[in-house]
Amino acid sequence: MEAEAARLIGAGLAMIGTIGAGLGIGVLVNGAVQGIARNPDAAGNVQTNMILGIAFAEAVAIYCLVVALLILFVG
Amino acid sequence: MERTSKWRWGVNRWFVLLFIILGAIAAGYYAPILPHIQLPAERYSHTPLFTLPVIGEFYWTNTLTAMVLADIILLLLALVVRGATTRGEMVPRGIAGAVEALLEVLYNLTETTAGKWAKSIFPFFATITLLVLVVNWMELIPGVDSIGILEHSDHGYPVEEIAPGIATIVKPEDGAEHNEEGEHGGYSLIPYLRVLSTDLNFTVGLALVSVIMTQVFGVRALGVGYFSKFINVGGLFKRPIFGVIDFGVGILELISEVSKILSFSFRLFGNIFAGSVLLFVIGSLVPVFAQSMFLMLEFAVGLIQAVVFGMLTMVFMAQATAGHGDHGEEHAH
Repeated sequence: MEAEAARLIGAGLAMIGTIGAGLGIGVLVNGAVQGIARNPDAAGNVQTNMILGIAFAEAVAIYCLVVALLILFVG
Repeated sequence: MERTSKWRWGVNRWFVLLFIILGAIAAGYYAPILPHIQLPAERYSHTPLFTLPVIGEFYWTNTLTAMVLADIILLLLALVVRGATTRGEMVPRGIAGAVEALLEVLYNLTETTAGKWAKSIFPFFATITLLVLVVNWMELIPGVDSIGILEHSDHGYPVEEIAPGIATIVKPEDGAEHNEEGEHGGYSLIPYLRVLSTDLNFTVGLALVSVIMTQVFGVRALGVGYFSKFINVGGLFKRPIFGVIDFGVGILELISEVSKILSFSFRLFGNIFAGSVLLFVIGSLVPVFAQSMFLMLEFAVGLIQAVVFGMLTMVFMAQATAGHGDHGEEHAH
């Protein structure tokens, strides 16, 4: 039972890394919305780049998620 | 026309209500339980289908069935669109019109990003987006992940027969979407179908295709000079200090190219697998109606992940064809 508890705690700890991704996405969208507000004509271009940036920032969170899932469901 | 749609809406409302009530009744009789979640795809049988000399044993897994099904859906879609275009309709209607609108959006996006290479890059972009879209949305069909074979296992649940005479295969009997895991007991359930994106083999394979074809496009556009992006020895003797920095940047590019495979595959896999685990957990916590909200969330996630996978592929390919004057804004993470 000890190992089981450690696994659950470890999966929880692994998800701490998503704080960074959350902050990153927040900063990204903040910048993109300000850019669109100042220059609405560039909205399409800004949105494309924003989604790309979000995908990159989100990838880090997904790594954490995959690690947590691996801890929980493998072995 | 308007009256028909109104009539249908009136009936659909009662269908929804009926399914909610049926779901509540069914959940009262057979409470949903959290299924045993495992990361690798489930195999139908324990004996391998055939054995290959180098690769090893080959099992037919349930994600493989899902892939065949997704391929069939895509082929049918292609045939429908082909029928519409060969009939000579200038304005395609129905499914063909929807596909045309989707592809037009994707093509315009490719053209603004890739310029003259749009015609060669677009097929990869569209194929990856459509395939991943169909595969992800398969998660929303009731019965996927929940109807399957019962099998003895260590962490199973006690068995209970619903329909008489059927000992091994138990079908969930109501049509509502919430009985994600079926009634498995004594045994654990091996679903006939499992969402393809929850199999790492699929996502890694797609990522490999994407990254390798990016290199191919780079070589096609820039010749052998493309590889000077990675191994940059040109400035090493002319400008000693900055040459070394350029060389280091080239090595970093090489590493980022490899890490693209990781980031591509884990992004898709992580999102969809987490989504299906979320559906299992919500379905077992709140059996009635709550899962519908999360199915809507999964609808959005599936769409976004498909577009992101395709768009990143397209942007990387466009960058590879653009020469190495203007890189630096995007790295794999």
